[in-house]
Amino acid sequence: MAWVEQIIQGLKDAGVDLIAYVPDGVTWRVLREMEQDPFFHMIPTTREEEAIGIISGAYAAGRRGAVFMQSSGFGNTINALATLNIPYRIPFVLFVGMRGGPGEFNLAQVPGARAIPGILDALGLQYFHLTREDELDRTLSGVIALTYAGRLPVANLLSTLLTGGRDAPR
Amino acid sequence: MLRVDAIKAVLERVGDAPIVSNLGGTTFHLHNLQDRDANLYMWGAMGLTSSVGLGIALAAPDRKVVVMDGDGSLLMNLGSLGTIARQSPANLVHIVWDNHQWAGTGGQPTHTAVVTDLAAVARGAGIPKVAAVSTLEGLEEAFDQAMREDGPWCIVADVEGSDNPDRPDVSIEENLQRFRRTFDRPAS
Repeated sequence: MAWVEQIIQGLKDAGVDLIAYVPDGVTWRVLREMEQDPFFHMIPTTREEEAIGIISGAYAAGRRGAVFMQSSGFGNTINALATLNIPYRIPFVLFVGMRGGPGEFNLAQVPGARAIPGILDALGLQYFHLTREDELDRTLSGVIALTYAGRLPVANLLSTLLTGGRDAPR
Repeated sequence: MLRVDAIKAVLERVGDAPIVSNLGGTTFHLHNLQDRDANLYMWGAMGLTSSVGLGIALAAPDRKVVVMDGDGSLLMNLGSLGTIARQSPANLVHIVWDNHQWAGTGGQPTHTAVVTDLAAVARGAGIPKVAAVSTLEGLEEAFDQAMREDGPWCIVADVEGSDNPDRPDVSIEENLQRFRRTFDRPAS
């Protein structure tokens, strides 16, 4: 299966059906499929932190969710992660469509993307670089299990090596 | 009306509906007045109270869900009003205790003390049921209607602060787990 279908199947297998997002060109390739799939309840939001608040509230009422965003928007999530998810132990599956890596053309995309591992390390949150389609389903099912067992968000960083980045054929 | 009296009036009418409370005085007063299993207290996450409430409402569509927000917090996350309107959960009752100040940090006037009308913002964002109230009777009437009729509702209540009770001794993790147990879904 291609990476898009593997992500969708992995979320379905784990019963993760509430999806909040700020769209970007990379993750939209997954999100547009989900928007057509009645399994998922889709929530477009105005800001990344808002998406995390919604999915966290849903977990507080017993429902599993995932958040999709672009790497440039990750910086908007720090207050939510630090003051909501970590102290309350609220897990969710995070997907970050990475920019700023191999193939990047926009200087403004580079610093924020490069800072993500350091920020997650400082917060004590785990992340995994998803780079290879042939390892994706195994990695993803493991990451989702870890997310709920550890009761903390875990980040899936979708590398341009996996997705082809902004300019990949859609 | 005093915020503490307004919170009391809501508690008298809310039944077993879940409440999520904004950080600071609202969380302290709610806990002090009635520490219910169905209360989820925010201690941080400023701005996200409305979003957390939306998530609860989407996850539990068969229950009314009450948000006790503040003007400072909502001003930080005005986009959430548009998101609530677009999702349009009929069961969400979003109350904003508008005391026109950042009370927890020394009472600095917020924009609502000067120019901003949050009820008008909510209407403009597309919230179908909006009420602006400034008396206890007005609040009680609007809240009863909101608990009876489909929303989403946004009730902007003009309130005055009063001294906070002592900070409650709450385990944040235990609060979440206790809150979760009031819902039917699996606990994983």
